[in-house]
Amino acid sequence: MRRPPLVLVFVAVLMIALGETAGAVLSQLRPQTERYARARVKANASVHGLVGAADYDAEVTSRAVFTAEAGLSFMHTHAEGLGPVILLAGTLAATAVPWRRMRAILYALFTLGALFPLGYLVYAVAVLEAGRDEGTALAEQYVLTPLGSAVILALVGLVMALGRGRPRAA
Amino acid sequence: MTEARSETWLAPSVPVLLIAVLIIAGAEVGGASMVKFKLELARWARGTMLARPDTHGLVGVRDVDEQILDEALVKFDAGLRLFHMHAEGMGTIIIVSTMVATTLVRAGAFRRAIVLLITVGGAGYPLGYLLWSALIPFYGIERGKTLAEWMVWIPFGGAAIVALWMLAGALALRLVRR
Repeated sequence: MRRPPLVLVFVAVLMIALGETAGAVLSQLRPQTERYARARVKANASVHGLVGAADYDAEVTSRAVFTAEAGLSFMHTHAEGLGPVILLAGTLAATAVPWRRMRAILYALFTLGALFPLGYLVYAVAVLEAGRDEGTALAEQYVLTPLGSAVILALVGLVMALGRGRPRAA
Repeated sequence: MTEARSETWLAPSVPVLLIAVLIIAGAEVGGASMVKFKLELARWARGTMLARPDTHGLVGVRDVDEQILDEALVKFDAGLRLFHMHAEGMGTIIIVSTMVATTLVRAGAFRRAIVLLITVGGAGYPLGYLLWSALIPFYGIERGKTLAEWMVWIPFGGAAIVALWMLAGALALRLVRR
């Protein structure tokens, strides 16, 4: 099997390493992460709609902190899963797609799409800085949707290329 | 290693592949066993916990004790599930990342260190969840977690994380030097 370009391999491995590290942070630094998240919600009281009533504010804060932690958790699972998928798909493109230009487009889309899990890091930060709904919408619109679409487009392109082409000559 | 040779993937050594496949197979068997022996496992865990009331803070009041036992059983089950998921994932990561290291890391000692750390760390880490589950009935949720952390998760997980950053660093260096 041929290997894809070094930059694609690097980005995929980087995502796997980030995914592993996010998992460790989630588990070993949970109290610190939660403390930081609560402090950021308090610092951005107006965007979170805190009103000064202890019971209400505590519930809003807990929901925002939970969403931010979910972002880190999604990053962990997606990075660990998508890294190997990108390496495998890149290898298939390198091995079985006979057209040079098509391969270049697929590599570019896969490399870009490999960054998708970082969208969940943006999601976690955006939720704390811009509020739960606004932050989620920002991350989805500007990071998760474009990068996720790149992966989907690349996979559709790969399927079409595999269906139409002959394997590359050895 | 010549550039032409590194244009195709090189497979990692057979022992590395064997360990990765074994951990994936263990995950599959673990998942199936969780379903097949769910009742037996829960019964064993419950019986073991009831035999150690002090460890679990059981007070002999049914309402209070049932809540404590339920929480411990949920964590016991979660540990088994997390073993299943992490073993499947880490088996794949071991294969993929050692293949990348074998193909693209030139320095022999550095390459061997990466492969060894990823293989040992990646294979050992998921076993920590199995250990946590096994320890919960004997030592309680938190004590079991602390033991699993220091005996397995921190050393083995740490080894895998360090190795993956070493690999990412080696690839970055290779990209810069091109």
